[in-house]
Amino acid sequence: MSILAIILMLVGCSTDQIGSSPQSDNSLIIGIESEADVLDPHRAGGWVTFRINSQIHESLVMEDLSASAKNSPVPPIKPGLAESWEISDDGLTYTFHLRKDVKFHDGTDFNSEAVKFNFQRLIDPSFEFYDERGAGNLTNTVSKIKEIKTVDEHTIEILLSEPFSPFIRMLSGSSTVLMLSPDALKKAGTDQYAENPVGTGPFKFAERVRGQKIVLSRNEEYWGDKAKLDQVIFRPIPEDSARVLALEAGEVDIIAVPPPDSVARLEQNGFKVDSGNPPHVWFLSFNFNNPHIQDVRVRQAIIMAIDREGMAKDLLKGTATAAYSAQSPANEAFDPNFIDYEYNPERAKELLKEAGYENGFEMIFQTSVDGSGQLVPVPMAEWIQQDLAKIGITVKLETFEWISYLGMWAAGMAENVGFNQMSWGMSTPYYLYNIAFSDSFANAGRYKSEAFDQAVLNAIAATDEAKAITYWQEANKIVADDAALVPIVNDKAPYVFASYVEGFVVPNEEWYDLTQVTVNKK
Amino acid sequence: MIFSYLIKRILYIIPILLGVSILVFSMVFFIPGDPARMMLGQSATEEAVHLLREELGFNDPFIIQYGAWLVDLLKGDLGTSITMRIPVTDYLLPKLMNTLILTAGGLVICIIGGVGIGLIAALRKYTWVDRIIMFLAQFGANMPSFWLAITLMWLFSIKLGWLPTSGMYDVRGGATFVSLIEHLILPAFATATVSLAVLARLTRSSLIDVLNTEYIKTFRANGISESKIIGKHAFRNILPSLINMTGLQVGALLGGALFVEVVFSWPGIGSQIYASITSKDIPMVQAGVLFIAICFVLINLINDLFIASLNPRLKN
Repeated sequence: MSILAIILMLVGCSTDQIGSSPQSDNSLIIGIESEADVLDPHRAGGWVTFRINSQIHESLVMEDLSASAKNSPVPPIKPGLAESWEISDDGLTYTFHLRKDVKFHDGTDFNSEAVKFNFQRLIDPSFEFYDERGAGNLTNTVSKIKEIKTVDEHTIEILLSEPFSPFIRMLSGSSTVLMLSPDALKKAGTDQYAENPVGTGPFKFAERVRGQKIVLSRNEEYWGDKAKLDQVIFRPIPEDSARVLALEAGEVDIIAVPPPDSVARLEQNGFKVDSGNPPHVWFLSFNFNNPHIQDVRVRQAIIMAIDREGMAKDLLKGTATAAYSAQSPANEAFDPNFIDYEYNPERAKELLKEAGYENGFEMIFQTSVDGSGQLVPVPMAEWIQQDLAKIGITVKLETFEWISYLGMWAAGMAENVGFNQMSWGMSTPYYLYNIAFSDSFANAGRYKSEAFDQAVLNAIAATDEAKAITYWQEANKIVADDAALVPIVNDKAPYVFASYVEGFVVPNEEWYDLTQVTVNKK
Repeated sequence: MIFSYLIKRILYIIPILLGVSILVFSMVFFIPGDPARMMLGQSATEEAVHLLREELGFNDPFIIQYGAWLVDLLKGDLGTSITMRIPVTDYLLPKLMNTLILTAGGLVICIIGGVGIGLIAALRKYTWVDRIIMFLAQFGANMPSFWLAITLMWLFSIKLGWLPTSGMYDVRGGATFVSLIEHLILPAFATATVSLAVLARLTRSSLIDVLNTEYIKTFRANGISESKIIGKHAFRNILPSLINMTGLQVGALLGGALFVEVVFSWPGIGSQIYASITSKDIPMVQAGVLFIAICFVLINLINDLFIASLNPRLKN
């Protein structure tokens, strides 16, 4: 009896603390793969959180996510909170003409002062609301901004210190500066803002119960096409199998990151599956400190020996496609027909022989055991191990827990390590700079090529977009010829959803637009 | 006598808690990687990372950091979450409550199930009923908890459609008592299995022993009904050992609940520690582990005192 009393008491306390959200039938529940980070768009990292923050907040320019990945390999850029913009001929001044009919969810005006406030928070250490955490998080996008000028209430100028051709693309992607209400931030304080975020987006923040749900409701005053749903609920279910079961039991309407083994069965049971080819590459970085690996013939042999097609089809059950380009998909510089090296184990053996490794050699391969976007790293590593055994290379696997691995991944590899592994990608070709430029922190293998660096610098400085693309493609070709990286697969980032969910489009991006989604339960 | 025992037992906690606090605090130094770097992202400058390390006191010597942490701890301040930037204590207490609800749910199932199964098995001793239910209890207890959890979800949610798969409340309907109970049953059951089997075994064997004693035979010879013999006399006899064992199982249930939470997306302290380790939120991990450690110490204390209060030698 006393135990029952204790439970009732505990329950009493607990129900009080949770509160309750309004009931709604026209709501969509998305089972997400992990709990979201902070809902402060400048501080938040990771795609999981961006998928939520970008429903609440918007940026000056946006990506058109209304077309599916098949119909639109690169999501086009479209006007967002800026209805138009101009770039000066020297590529240093970006002038944005803002929409005049936009209000934040708290009723305050969206105008050039608000834009200035948001950027100042990230670039001006003397600014009262400067946030070093946000600044660190968005360095890639804002580091080249010299000054922000308000021209009039609806015009803003962004001055760069040097030309930066990926800038507009960066402003439309997950490294963008999403616009939050200055008023809300001032009232809540910089640390508390995330508890009640206020943006201009099609959905307003309604409620967050950590570990249980984040509820957004339709913004009735939205300036664009209003959302069809009353509510969107993001429900974290980190355990893969539990997420699948929650979908099957009808507790959630959509799930992200279904385990590969479950997709075919779910489809047979009447669920819909859609996927894209978003910027997501699972790749190996050759260690240029390893004496065997320093020989380009050895690197080429290793690439030719790995059956990437087979891995995507048989091991990953088609949830990924074989990757043949270091550049990530879904940007203008990505060429889907580019092939670095065809699968050819016979030629690989010859190359090894030419390099003097007729009897092979031993090396270490480092990988994580799990992690965001890592797919199933250990079985994939074993696949690679077996393929390399066929040409005489003995691979010893070293596996690490994800967080430790993230810390050490880019810190440089010991001499006996042949390569390590990571998965990443961006919707701008600038990604290539990150993973292979000689001074980049994420150049894990310490690859160094003057020709590559020059091509990248040319691309970044190019004021003409077509020229920039040519330079990026040149850079990609150099990396491939040098065999510095091994692209393995591109994740298709599948979503599985109930048959009554309509209008859910998976674009070629790591996030989505929910305004056109409807739930038609019979 | 019991009073002096009480004081002694409570004083005994202090060095334990101090030791726990040192362990919990120094845990930070064993976690690889740089938390300041994690907070600012991989592309932040060295300078910004250094400034943040200064701000958070990561550059001070161990003893200074520990001292400052302990002083704050005694004031009830366990620091601010690195990822969420909110006070850790306020945030974790409701989570702890959720974990205790799950543990209590597990305890109820473990007592009712364990004693019930043990009782039936003892009454039907050496028959197929006895063998089957004891085998099932043992089998359940030895299944990996992850596998058991998924099997329970599949059976009760998908096949039978009786119970929700995971979570603590219906996310559409809000937090109602009925919704909580529905969501509690499966994870509580998964939490309880091991302890349930232990209690069932204990109940069965001690009951069989008692029922074989001379005085029970005397009762039977005197024509006292079997239900009265078991309910009143035999059961009362095995109660102290059951209580003792149940007390010991509370700690095990709490430990089990921490793992079960992760599988069932139960928003308790175990799920939180798991998520915070992943995001390297050190103050959150420290506070979470500390809360759990304190719970264990308190559970053991209450258990010892309860058992002591039943011990006639300590009564006078």
